[in-house]
Amino acid sequence: MVHFTAEEKTAVTHVWSKVNVEEDGGEVLGRLLVVYPWTQRFFDNFGNLSSSSAIMGNPKVKAHGKKVLTSFGDAVKNMDNLKGTFAKLSELHCDKLHVDPENFRLLGNVMVIVLASHFGKEFTPDVQAAWQKLVAGVANAMAHKYH
Amino acid sequence: MLSAEEQAHIAQVWDLIAGHEAPFGAELLLRLFTVYPSTKLYFQHLGAFPDEVQLLSHGQRMLQAVGVAVQHLDDLRAVLRPLADLHAHVLRVDPANFPLLIQCFQVVLASHLQGEFTVEMQAAWDKFLTGVAIVLTEHQR
Repeated sequence: MVHFTAEEKTAVTHVWSKVNVEEDGGEVLGRLLVVYPWTQRFFDNFGNLSSSSAIMGNPKVKAHGKKVLTSFGDAVKNMDNLKGTFAKLSELHCDKLHVDPENFRLLGNVMVIVLASHFGKEFTPDVQAAWQKLVAGVANAMAHKYH
Repeated sequence: MLSAEEQAHIAQVWDLIAGHEAPFGAELLLRLFTVYPSTKLYFQHLGAFPDEVQLLSHGQRMLQAVGVAVQHLDDLRAVLRPLADLHAHVLRVDPANFPLLIQCFQVVLASHLQGEFTVEMQAAWDKFLTGVAIVLTEHQR
């Protein structure tokens, strides 16, 4: 089980309090689809993904990004029980959606980069470390029920 | 491998780093060691707790090499051969570490450029740095 120190929890919740789940979700998912185009394989029914501007402006990308980031909010509230929190979603992504867990790691890394762009200097190495630990924990929790 | 647009994005971002290789490199190393402590094993010559002077000095060397790569995007293999031999035969860096360095590099870029760090820049730099990592590790066996 992943253990977060008090400082790490503070760093995470402080950053999270300033995240706009609607806008930032679309940006995180959009950047994933642009930087790692093979991830588009899961979104064939999303319409126009033909260019970076099409992807970043795509309403379905924004909507799904919002969904993804909303469930990240659950991670922030349950940092001591990520596996339990994501058990159902893990089953869904394995059994119904057939998503390679490597995608969760890529998404987590993209999220950290987006946070860094929003927070600038405030996103210190220690804050980054706390967030990388959280996104890695979420990625592992999301992969945990795979079989 | 890199389109003309991607090369332009790479050059555009490099213009902001050029002349500041030392502080950028130091921040890169500090993030690498803080977020991924196992990477410190490859830098034991900097001591157990590298100080700012060492980070600036070594960081500058690393970023200057990136700068050389930026000037030779069409010729990475030839220009990086000596560094490839170093990383493969002398340093023997496990290739799994390069994505960790690349993640920290992107975070450095994002935190400095902030709103100006477009998705196109992120994509171009991810592709470029991944290409550099491939060149630096391809002679390992």
